[in-house]
Amino acid sequence: MTQFTRNRQLKLYNFIRLMSFLGVIASVLFLIVKVENLLVASLLAFVISYLLGPFVNSLERLGINRLLAVSFTFIGVSALLGVVVSSFLPLIANQLGLLKAEFPKYAEGLTQLIAESEQRFGDMAGSYFAIDFSEQVEAALSPWTTALFEDLPGFITKSVTTLLLAPFIAFFMIKDGKVFSRNLLNLVPNSIFETTLSLYHQINDQMGHFVRARLLEAVFVGVLTWAGLVIIDFPYATILALFAALTNLIPYVGPIIGAIPALAISIINGDTTFGLFLVSGVYFTVQLIDAAFIIPLVVAKIVDLHPITVVVSIIAGAQVLGVVGMLISIPVASILKVTFTSVYKHLTDYRSI
Amino acid sequence: MNQMWENLFRKSDAIEELQSILKSCYIFQDLSRKELSFVKELIHVRHYKNGEAVFKQGEIGVGMYIIGRGTVDIMVEDALIDSDEPTHVTRLSGGDFLGELSLVEENSRRSATALSVGDSMMIGFFRPDLEEIIERNPSTGAKICFRLSQVLGRRLKGTSEKVTELKKQMKLIAER
Repeated sequence: MTQFTRNRQLKLYNFIRLMSFLGVIASVLFLIVKVENLLVASLLAFVISYLLGPFVNSLERLGINRLLAVSFTFIGVSALLGVVVSSFLPLIANQLGLLKAEFPKYAEGLTQLIAESEQRFGDMAGSYFAIDFSEQVEAALSPWTTALFEDLPGFITKSVTTLLLAPFIAFFMIKDGKVFSRNLLNLVPNSIFETTLSLYHQINDQMGHFVRARLLEAVFVGVLTWAGLVIIDFPYATILALFAALTNLIPYVGPIIGAIPALAISIINGDTTFGLFLVSGVYFTVQLIDAAFIIPLVVAKIVDLHPITVVVSIIAGAQVLGVVGMLISIPVASILKVTFTSVYKHLTDYRSI
Repeated sequence: MNQMWENLFRKSDAIEELQSILKSCYIFQDLSRKELSFVKELIHVRHYKNGEAVFKQGEIGVGMYIIGRGTVDIMVEDALIDSDEPTHVTRLSGGDFLGELSLVEENSRRSATALSVGDSMMIGFFRPDLEEIIERNPSTGAKICFRLSQVLGRRLKGTSEKVTELKKQMKLIAER
């Protein structure tokens, strides 16, 4: 067999292996997107596995077998979650009940506030710029108000499947994830194997840092917001703190969205300027502590994305998958950035393709 | 039914083969059977065709390879030698290992090209695998790192001796 024929056969063989590798990845992604609940469950499973992986490794370092280490971690975390949920659930349910009863008042107050602003704007700008935003808001708010509280139990029931599926997938991800990734990497052609392996570990590390840092930051923001609101004796402190923690996961715009409900409640309740100043002060101080201490200590390790990239990613995520899209847009953008940077580095440094 | 047993035995034979290849490699010789079984879960078995490159000179390497079956030629393209053809340095066979410097050095470039002679089977052991061993089982990681440092130390000593010898020869040439 001549060298030329041998090289051609080798290229064909490597091409088939590469296509099989990409085919398996595409099939898994297709399955995740197409099967109901699997996308959100898989994303949650990834988050759980990134969060609990280090605990499992710590137990393994003590000489405990991996299966037992994973089982102990899951049992421990479930027990801890059980205690936390059972302690906080009555409080949250109570605040939700109160909010449900008072929500029409807030919706009406918000519409009135917008109407007044319109009036003022109309007086200033004249009839040429007359806008009728308040009616649209009212029309949108009234069905949404009823739907929010009436659909909440249904939404929770529907989420049970996802909430049960996610830890189940996460358990096997932590226990056997290495075997799965190794079998998948076996399909990669020899010529790009080391690059792919390096890329896989870089992405995995970045995602691990990202998930842990963002969630830890959200917990800090939630606890600080709750403490601040309790100190100034503001209503619905727990729900508002939970909302602020959740929206804080969205970079740049998240903290602003998180503060809006508290500010709206304060304005509609007719708080004095000092009251409004106190609420704004709580949110501002929390963001100041976040920027000065939490971000440099906890989040500094994660992928650095340009603000424009962040905003474009969030808009694109929201367009495709709604709120879930907004939350996952940044991790996805980070994965793409790490992938493209590494592939570019490979093309310029490795020169083996 | 017979086929099932045959497959089962074939699989256990493959596991035994991997374990014995690892045990025969200098870097893993301090490990117990249990530790070898743990390392076996992390390594990568790679198959190469005749003439296929395991790695090429100048590429960034991520780890080392242990030859399980077959032979590998080590070739070097030397800018000082006025030839298009790479120079054949050595031929490695079963049990030998290559590329170990990349296990510890970040962005280390391969100093030679390794080509498979005939079909071969290699065990790839890479930096992320070593890091995972250190993270999950530090005592096993320490044993591997100790052996690895012995190998690298020996290589450094060999290189120092060669440099000293070269300096002596250059001095002799200059004196003449």
